[in-house]
Amino acid sequence: MDHNPLKKSVESIAMPEAMKIRIIRQTISNASKSEKYRNTVSWQKPAITAAILLLCFFIAIPIGVTASETIYGLMYFVSPEIAQFFHPVQKSDIDNGIKMEVVSSYIHGDTAEIYITMQDLTGDRIDETIDLYDSYAILAPFDSSAHCERAGYDKNTKTATFFITIQNMNGRDLKSILGDKVTFTVRQFLSRKKEYKGVKIPYDFTSVSQAGITQQVSPTGGGGLAYEDKDVLTVLVPNEPYTGFPIEGVSLTGIGFIDGKLHIQTAVEDPLNNDNHGFMYLTDKEGNRQEGEASYYFITQNGDIRVDYQEEIFSVTPEELLKYELYGEFYVSGLMTNGKWSVTFPLE
Amino acid sequence: MTRLQDIAEKVETAVDTYGNMLFRICLVMLGNERDAEDVVQDTMLKLLQKAPAFESPEHQKAWLIRTASNRCKDIKRFQFRHPQIGMTELQEYTANPEDSGILEALMGIPEKFRIVLILYHVEGYHTYEIGKMLGKSASAIKMRLQKGHKLLKEKYRKEFL
Repeated sequence: MDHNPLKKSVESIAMPEAMKIRIIRQTISNASKSEKYRNTVSWQKPAITAAILLLCFFIAIPIGVTASETIYGLMYFVSPEIAQFFHPVQKSDIDNGIKMEVVSSYIHGDTAEIYITMQDLTGDRIDETIDLYDSYAILAPFDSSAHCERAGYDKNTKTATFFITIQNMNGRDLKSILGDKVTFTVRQFLSRKKEYKGVKIPYDFTSVSQAGITQQVSPTGGGGLAYEDKDVLTVLVPNEPYTGFPIEGVSLTGIGFIDGKLHIQTAVEDPLNNDNHGFMYLTDKEGNRQEGEASYYFITQNGDIRVDYQEEIFSVTPEELLKYELYGEFYVSGLMTNGKWSVTFPLE
Repeated sequence: MTRLQDIAEKVETAVDTYGNMLFRICLVMLGNERDAEDVVQDTMLKLLQKAPAFESPEHQKAWLIRTASNRCKDIKRFQFRHPQIGMTELQEYTANPEDSGILEALMGIPEKFRIVLILYHVEGYHTYEIGKMLGKSASAIKMRLQKGHKLLKEKYRKEFL
């Protein structure tokens, strides 16, 4: 009996999203109450963070109410003691039909925590996949490190909430600079991201060259079990994109053998404006999957056009390859929205 | 980062990484979604409270499976109070309900064989690794695997072929 259907069937069992949220919420709550953490955790500031993160995750914002009003109101509803630590800021900027608002901030020790919302006032460009990636900037009157994460999304108001942490690099208490101003700026964001899993690539492996035409490049990075840090790498010379490749936004630009190993090359044009990426794997008729042993990245820049290449290397012989079919997993962003959103507010 | 943020991040990372894997093991072992949810939650809490020093992600995964399967065994002791999930409900958790015949056959064999079959065929562990997780010898696991194959084959053929 073939047991691969068992693997396929059992692996298709997925925890419902609502259950996942319940487990995370309950575990955080129980861990916080446990003796171990009760003795060590300073309660004021983390409780605020946790409660508000939970709010942002789990509570939908009613239609007709602004996001900041609701988030701030809900802080009080859940815990007035917690909410009192956050100062309402409610300063906003609108550009390209999108409103960015700094909702509230809280300074404690060397850290500032800030909630920001982004709301599409005219369309559907903001969704639950929104990603500011590296397009945001924080100007603070001290050497700082910052982290921004999406904390929630509300469908009704098309509003995404972000939680930003700014930490003073020299560890000094920020209370000494209370009243000084911080500017938060966003210039673009990605949304409508899509995931494609288990995509079959209709490629005829009998046509794969056993001696691919190669070039030397300087890799910019890579990964995988057999990855080695190399200054120079021999890779395939990119061909015209394979027309049968089913994913828009990623191109298959080469398949061939180099030094007995199979190289599969994909390319993403203008990656700084889309963040498209993915990986390939081989699957035989029994469903056995073979992953690449290493992958390397390199870049070409032709005028304004930047192309990022990924070369995945598989330990498979030309004979073995004929047993396999090519599959991939890809993540592509459907929309890049540009604008200039900037809010300056005092640390309070 | 505050300590509670640290807890929240650890929990989210662990649930994102291992939640589905633990849930399917628990669901197949227990046949009851509420119990499966409780076990996943208990396991995550133990992970936080005990904070074992893991040598590798594989070590962590094995620890989580062992902890969850032990908890499942505890729950099985009084499972007469917890009715097993029906196939219709079970299908709601699968991405491919049309492929659920094999799952139904799996749920129709005793639990001690189910867990071995899953760990071997789905999670890809060797028999000696499964033995370590379940507190059995490798040869005992091999025997359960053989018997499990036989039972699954019979059940699947009888009802679906």
